[in-house]
Amino acid sequence: MNDWRQRILKRLASLKLPPTREAEIVEEVAQHLEDRYQELVVSGATEEEARRVALEELSDENLLADGLRPVEKEVPQEPLVPGEGEGNNFLASLWQDVRYGIRMLRKSPGFTAAAVIVMALGIGANTAIFSVIDGVLLKALPYPHPERLVVLGSRAPKEHQNDLELVLPSEFLEWRNRARSFESLVLTQAIPVNSQGQDGAEQISGLWTTSGLFQVFGSPALGRAFTDQETRVGENNVAILSHGYWQSRFGADPNVLGQTINLNGQPTVLIGVMPTGFRVATLETDVYLPMPLDPAKPEAVGSRSFRCFGRLRPGVTVSSAQAEMTVIEDQLAHLYPSFLEGWGVTVHDLHDYLAQQSRPALLTLLAVVAFVLLIACANLASLLLTRGIGRRSELAVRASLGAGRLRLVQLMVVESVLLSAAGGAGGLVLGLWASRLLLVLAKHAVSLGQLEQIYLDVHVLAFTMSLSLLSAILFGLTPAWQASRFDPLGALKEQGRGGSDHRGQRRLRAALVVGEVALSVVLLAGAGLLLRTFSRLLRVNLGFEPEHVLTARMLVTGDRAQRSNLVEHILDRVEVLPGVRAAGTVQFLPLGGWANRGPFHFVGEPDPAPAENLQTDVAVVSRGYFASMGIPLLQGRAFTKQDTFDSPRVAVVSKSFVKKYLPHDDPLGHRIIGDWSNPAPTGIVGVVGDIRQDGLTTEPRPTVYLAQVQSPGYITYVVVRAAGQPEQLVAAIRHAVHEVDNNQPVTAIEGMEQYVSAELARPRLYMTLLGAFASLALVLAGIGLYGLMAYTVTQRTHEIGIRIALGAPPRAVLRSMLGQGAILTMAGLAIGVPFAIALARFISGWLYGVTPDDPLTYMGVAALLSGVALVATFLPARRATKIDPMLALRCE
Amino acid sequence: MPYMDVKPSDLEWKKGSAELLILSLVEARPRHGYEISKLIEQRSGGAVHFHVASLYPLLYRLEKRGWLQGRWVEKSGQRRRRYYRLTPQGRKILASQRRGWQTFVEAINRITEVEHA
Repeated sequence: MNDWRQRILKRLASLKLPPTREAEIVEEVAQHLEDRYQELVVSGATEEEARRVALEELSDENLLADGLRPVEKEVPQEPLVPGEGEGNNFLASLWQDVRYGIRMLRKSPGFTAAAVIVMALGIGANTAIFSVIDGVLLKALPYPHPERLVVLGSRAPKEHQNDLELVLPSEFLEWRNRARSFESLVLTQAIPVNSQGQDGAEQISGLWTTSGLFQVFGSPALGRAFTDQETRVGENNVAILSHGYWQSRFGADPNVLGQTINLNGQPTVLIGVMPTGFRVATLETDVYLPMPLDPAKPEAVGSRSFRCFGRLRPGVTVSSAQAEMTVIEDQLAHLYPSFLEGWGVTVHDLHDYLAQQSRPALLTLLAVVAFVLLIACANLASLLLTRGIGRRSELAVRASLGAGRLRLVQLMVVESVLLSAAGGAGGLVLGLWASRLLLVLAKHAVSLGQLEQIYLDVHVLAFTMSLSLLSAILFGLTPAWQASRFDPLGALKEQGRGGSDHRGQRRLRAALVVGEVALSVVLLAGAGLLLRTFSRLLRVNLGFEPEHVLTARMLVTGDRAQRSNLVEHILDRVEVLPGVRAAGTVQFLPLGGWANRGPFHFVGEPDPAPAENLQTDVAVVSRGYFASMGIPLLQGRAFTKQDTFDSPRVAVVSKSFVKKYLPHDDPLGHRIIGDWSNPAPTGIVGVVGDIRQDGLTTEPRPTVYLAQVQSPGYITYVVVRAAGQPEQLVAAIRHAVHEVDNNQPVTAIEGMEQYVSAELARPRLYMTLLGAFASLALVLAGIGLYGLMAYTVTQRTHEIGIRIALGAPPRAVLRSMLGQGAILTMAGLAIGVPFAIALARFISGWLYGVTPDDPLTYMGVAALLSGVALVATFLPARRATKIDPMLALRCE
Repeated sequence: MPYMDVKPSDLEWKKGSAELLILSLVEARPRHGYEISKLIEQRSGGAVHFHVASLYPLLYRLEKRGWLQGRWVEKSGQRRRRYYRLTPQGRKILASQRRGWQTFVEAINRITEVEHA
């Protein structure tokens, strides 16, 4: 045959076709030329002539290539011939591998589905947590130049932690006058506001603020900000609406500016509307009211109960602002030693401050889901190993045709990347869905700051994609390397017998399962500890009985006598309602963490030095409160109708107050003076049991209860003990209040049981999340173990067949298989338990009544895992005992 | 109105008819490339001849469009050859191209007859 090929090849060279395709074209065209040549020779032409004519077919040098170029660009490629194109055309071979990989994966849908689901679960869990982290910790706050926003707080004497205590108005005024680091400072306090509309009164949320609010956080979208003039006493009859309240109450009417509405009994002119979604740190309120802060009398607006925010001047850092404020606070302590001695001041970046509350929880959760992903990846690696062994003969063919080991590894890594990419896509969908679920679950449990809705953004997408790629390469590489390590000849001979394991591969698979078990131990232990915490919390002695108790909040206004009278009259009506066993009021409900705290001293004893002040919590409650809340009276009497606004002042103290301050005396008859609104001597008339005021996990503190009738507050909760279902009393209570004062709003009506249950929301959330992830881990580890054992049975079919043929009882086979599973599980436990104990201290802040090394929890985890392992091992092991020796041997 | 060149591209025109020729030739049975080129030459009485450099790109294009399907066939005592078969899709295309061609030829005929009448 003539040498057509070289000439054709030369003409195709510029196309750089894949070798297989090029070979094909050359063969076909060469055949054509040969046919033409032969025909010419047969018809009488000389060989020389025939050759020339045939070659004319190829005509111009470039014509063939030019004709082929547009066609060949997209011609589908035939499967690769291994060994060719290695190194010299990496991208083409990669593309080939991708296409081949897709075909192979479609051929084994079971394997593909298992791998994709496992990866989707692992990646989905990570995407969910990361998208929350992205929203809470990474995104900037929605204000102009958010990096310049800071929060300022006082630091109580001897408190070295960085918590930001509330600020005194006088402190704020001094800061504002002296500090140079800030463009502006603002003092705020969230307050309830009674709003009088045409259809009755309603209680709305308000923010009392100085005029700095708008320089610090941003200006109104409509109308104008407060002027300094408007924050003076007597001139503060203006208000700015939030966007939401403007829409709901005024139907987004732009003519609302200049209208007068009645807020807290005062006619108030509306001068502006804030932008959509505007909030101060995390606080969204209905109206913004100017705070009448009088430099001559700052304490008139209140005591240490305000928050302070600031905007740094451009170029000023948080640390330099902190340094300046420390100097200022030192100067102030010298000026006002009586109330600022020992106090410090803290300046925090606002974003850091808001994120810091959720950061530890989110980072812990990220670690938890990282564990889940590791387990998923171990499963993927295990699946890939099994598959690699099954494909050994295919790989052997490729190797014997000249494919290098790297080429084979590339082929298989591409497959694992494909699997992981599909898993990542599934994980993205799953993760976004789960993150929305997470937001709903977390809504009442933790403050996620600015985060309201989670969207797919470029951060999350990049995170998920790199996670998928990374896990695929890390966990696909080892199985690929293992699978490509064989003797091609031996592998080809084995063809048809399923192939067998190498020792290295066996070890790797066992290590993967042990690792999965160990990681599961960590997660299960965490979940177990939280479960124990939760059950402890459910059994905490609250000190009161929330069953059948209804609470409702009021904001009462007027002078002291008016407030005292109003509440007395309301109580008179509520306590005689049918179905009401007892009724009372309290300023702040238990568990909420709200309490007045201050110094006091006993009458007749010398005034102690300021630093040695005796400290107590002070609660303001009415007659009937202890009975309706179910707080036991231990000694003396509770408040009664005989205690009036003008009668001698009386107090009831708690058991721990007596234990701490009057351990050897009869408390009744002692008189105390405290630094509260009316510093008159107050006689102790009774002792009641302790309650948890600060929260479920905080031990009760010494408490003095003052009579509401003598020391009336503003915020007042009505507390009613019902004979039957408390919810049935809602309408009657509202009615009773409105009978006394038609303009008195009642809000936040809630059963005390729901209220207590809401207090459990956070531990419940942590338990649910960790429980869910741990269950996922357990299932994945179970699948991993099952997969390994099932595979071992197929591998050992032949050997087991021989043993059974030689008379081994099925029981012995079963025992040997179970023993193998047990060893792996025990190894996992042995590694996992110490690891878990070490890691459990990271969640020690979430634990209550249980130590991070609680033996019962670890025993439970071990038992649970062993149980799952037993099932996962037993199913394949039982199949091993059913092996028909004849069939097994015939496999040879 | 500005002058507009409405003459169809000569190249497109040839390509369209070449496709019709190839599709018709493999309608009855699969044929290999050389056989196709011989038949075109013979049946046109030598008027139409395809060079290798234009025939094979065209065959591959038709194959890529899914109108033809090529398959290597080995017959005893011969080297293997690639045979092209008309696909069901190719059959539909052929039918529609034939109709178009006939319409065109009739139209040309009518015009030229009128000229000579």
